[in-house]
Amino acid sequence: MRRWFLIAAALCATLVYAESPPIGYVKNVTGDASVVTAGQARKAEVGTSVHVGSVLRTGQQASLGVTFKDETVMSFGPNTELTVDQYLYEPGQGKLRMNGKLAKGSMNYVSGVIAKLQPDAVTVTTPAGVIGVRGTQFLLKVEE
Amino acid sequence: MASLAKRLLVIAGALLLTACGSKSYVVLLDNPDGTTGAVVVKGAKGEQVIDQTGQGAPVDGSAKPAVVPAADIQRDFGSAMAARPKLPERFLLYFEVGGAQLTPDSTALLPKIIENAAQRPAVDVSIIGHTDTLGRAEQNEALALKRAQAVAELIKKKGLKVHALSVESHGERNPLVKTPDETSEPRNRRVEVSLR
Repeated sequence: MRRWFLIAAALCATLVYAESPPIGYVKNVTGDASVVTAGQARKAEVGTSVHVGSVLRTGQQASLGVTFKDETVMSFGPNTELTVDQYLYEPGQGKLRMNGKLAKGSMNYVSGVIAKLQPDAVTVTTPAGVIGVRGTQFLLKVEE
Repeated sequence: MASLAKRLLVIAGALLLTACGSKSYVVLLDNPDGTTGAVVVKGAKGEQVIDQTGQGAPVDGSAKPAVVPAADIQRDFGSAMAARPKLPERFLLYFEVGGAQLTPDSTALLPKIIENAAQRPAVDVSIIGHTDTLGRAEQNEALALKRAQAVAELIKKKGLKVHALSVESHGERNPLVKTPDETSEPRNRRVEVSLR
């Protein structure tokens, strides 16, 4: 009984996940890049939506640029994988949080309103360490 | 002798580790507006703060920030930097007291907003309405929404195709200039248009 409940809960969570509103959009692409949302991979094109949990991937000689609702701007070089683990942008309720996980590759990050309003609310996680973003632009490279 | 060889091996290993570790690193740049922020690096080997433009540090926290040669930045990040989208911009439009009529100056600003938006691929627009603290809070909630909707209508009428649009009201809750209640303040009677 309990197990069924857990499975049902997991399914609900998946449904909510799939229908979560866009938090940003792809603005430019060169080469092969994709956005994987709720397990579904889509070829990245100008206008492709990004959601909480989306995985952004670029292939060899590819690049990708994404702009988020809070005006955070991220762009990626080749062979990159970034997961948008957390994204909360409700300034009216004081709910602000952003965490991305860069597994490999290179990125250029320009912080947006979340980092301005709450400087400790933005982090980028890498396999070797965590970057805390205090309202700035930075470059980050992760070599596997 | 054997112990010396062993010791050298350990030193070589440590150097190798440092070299590998430094392949994952972060570099601080100026903000596009010219200001400089900071990044804090927390890794298994320590914690570092980078607050000087052009300095970088390994993400494992093993070394203090140091200047990163421009050639390294170009080699490692040239492609990511070239892919940076046009930066988002914000416009403020102001209103006559009590209604959703734009001031003449703000009406004159509309073509600039349209032009800016039209240059953006898959433009994502948010329009947020605000009021001053004159009148009841609930009424201001509705008035701010009316202002935001009026701007959305004007933009649509000018023929702008948007990829995504959100229209919201912050009522009197989010003033640009803090005032006591029941204060007429032109700078708070506004709509913010964010173009992304």
